[in-house]
Amino acid sequence: MRRICCAVLMFLLAGCGVRPSGVHERGEAPTGVAPAVTLYFVDAQNRLAAQSRRTGRLGTIAEALSLLLEGPGGRDGLSTRIPPGQPTRVVVDTRPGLIVLRVPLAAYEVAPLGVDQIVCTALGVWIQSGGAPDARVRVSFTLPTPESDAWRTCPVLP
Amino acid sequence: MRWGLRFRLLLAFVSVTLLAVAVTAWSSARSASAALVEATERQLTGVVAERIGAVAPQLSYPPDQESLDRLRSAVGPETVVTYGQLSSVGGDRTGLVTGALRDAVRTRGRLVAQRIVAAGRPWLLVGTPVVVTAPDGGRSPSGIEVYSVFPLAEVERQVDGLGRVAVGTAAPAVPLAVLLAVLAANSVLRPVRRLRDTARRLAAGDLDARSTPRGADELTELTVTLNRMAGSLQASMEELRRMQADARRFTADVSHELRTPLSTLTAVVEVLASAADGMAPDARESAELAITEVHRLVRLVEDLMEVSRFDAGTARPRVEEVDVADAVRECLRARGWSDRVELVAAQGVRVPVDRRRLDVVVANLVGNALRHGAPPVRVTVSAAARQVRVEVTDGGPGLPDAVLPHVFDRFYKHDAARTRTPGSGLGLAIARENARLHGGDITAANAAGGGARFTLRLPRDPEDG
Repeated sequence: MRRICCAVLMFLLAGCGVRPSGVHERGEAPTGVAPAVTLYFVDAQNRLAAQSRRTGRLGTIAEALSLLLEGPGGRDGLSTRIPPGQPTRVVVDTRPGLIVLRVPLAAYEVAPLGVDQIVCTALGVWIQSGGAPDARVRVSFTLPTPESDAWRTCPVLP
Repeated sequence: MRWGLRFRLLLAFVSVTLLAVAVTAWSSARSASAALVEATERQLTGVVAERIGAVAPQLSYPPDQESLDRLRSAVGPETVVTYGQLSSVGGDRTGLVTGALRDAVRTRGRLVAQRIVAAGRPWLLVGTPVVVTAPDGGRSPSGIEVYSVFPLAEVERQVDGLGRVAVGTAAPAVPLAVLLAVLAANSVLRPVRRLRDTARRLAAGDLDARSTPRGADELTELTVTLNRMAGSLQASMEELRRMQADARRFTADVSHELRTPLSTLTAVVEVLASAADGMAPDARESAELAITEVHRLVRLVEDLMEVSRFDAGTARPRVEEVDVADAVRECLRARGWSDRVELVAAQGVRVPVDRRRLDVVVANLVGNALRHGAPPVRVTVSAAARQVRVEVTDGGPGLPDAVLPHVFDRFYKHDAARTRTPGSGLGLAIARENARLHGGDITAANAAGGGARFTLRLPRDPEDG
């Protein structure tokens, strides 16, 4: 009887503690590295077109938007619908499922296609750095209109 | 016996409690520790993914050594980051990373983890590739792999603590179990003790003993059964006693009824004996045979009546102080045996006995020795502090071992030749009853020399028994 009790106790004690395990998956691999950042401009047919800017790294949404606001640089026959010559500092505030962008522009200054440029560039960087593809973007203008605060998606991204 | 049952009950209770406590403590500690390990692992792998994700967008790609170093320092102290031929190693535990983990990182393309025990301490290995995600969500490997080692010693300490806490909280159940076991043992043992006392009284002959059944458990059933057994035992004993009494009364009645015709027959035989001298030889022989048999019959009936008196308990000794040596000598002289029997008697040994009964006993023992044994027949009277011994020995072949236990049985005859002897077959039985009536006894044995030896013991003070 005593021997059985001892054996059980030993077994119980051996059962405690941290036991080794096999290799098991713990979710998606992290992401965020990229050789270039993708900016969205407008081509000759008035469609959104991606331009890959070889920055050597992905960078942040704010950096990408700064590059976007600076314009296409006259390459690839692309143009922008965002008025140039403005300050390019954009404040990015990410919340769960929502990216809020405070751009140094008034709502009347930017055409709908220009808003799409901003939204697609931000979402692209967001997705490339591992963000959820179904996030929405709100563009906050310096002079907002009732419609400008909508939660937007990019028409050319899934 | 009582301690044994109580001890066993106690042991069973404590064992069951210990086992239950151990299993409860073990399973709760085990599930808690599994949850703790799982949570820790989830947190650490989450931290790794989060740190890589936070720093990755700022890394140049394809990475140079400086980028790898930056990534490595962002992830943790015990980390290896590789990219093709380039690698950045931090800490001295990264050698623990297993080949299986590297294989899984390369083939699965997902974040993987593995727990190992090295040098007696637990470690968590986390490995992951860093992937490149296109703006449209397409993922492709970047070639960067990150491996990180985290110690789980702190978790193990917490897990051990959980086990100790579980045992500690469960331990107070043991004294409680002991208390319960003692109570249960008492509740079981109390009726058992009552039953034992009843059985003991029954065994001692008190057939009126009964146990009152209480409750409706198995012990109550046992009590009822015991009572029923005692009842039937008592009934059988009474029946047996009644039958014995009937048989004895019958013997007494028969003997008594035979006495009257026998006295007539005796008188007739006396007449016949006086006339025998004038008969023809063959008629005289028949007459003598008839006379002998009638005398035998008279003795038999007398012995039967004596036995009946013993059986009925109506035999009363007329006790007086008797000098045993004188009584024995008188007995031998009266029967004309003085010259055939050697008497060795201590003088002045006085014992309170019934003189007639002592005479009957001595005459029977000496008569048997003369009839069945061989000379020399010796009677020895000796006195001890508390009893007087009268030994009768002969020089014959002694009693066979098969006969010894039965010599005092009524009508026991081991030899067909003895059927014609004048004895009734009750002599030794009556002799022993007489000895017992005085608080003594007779034993039969064989002397060292081979002859039979009957020893009569009489207490000097009958009150001693």
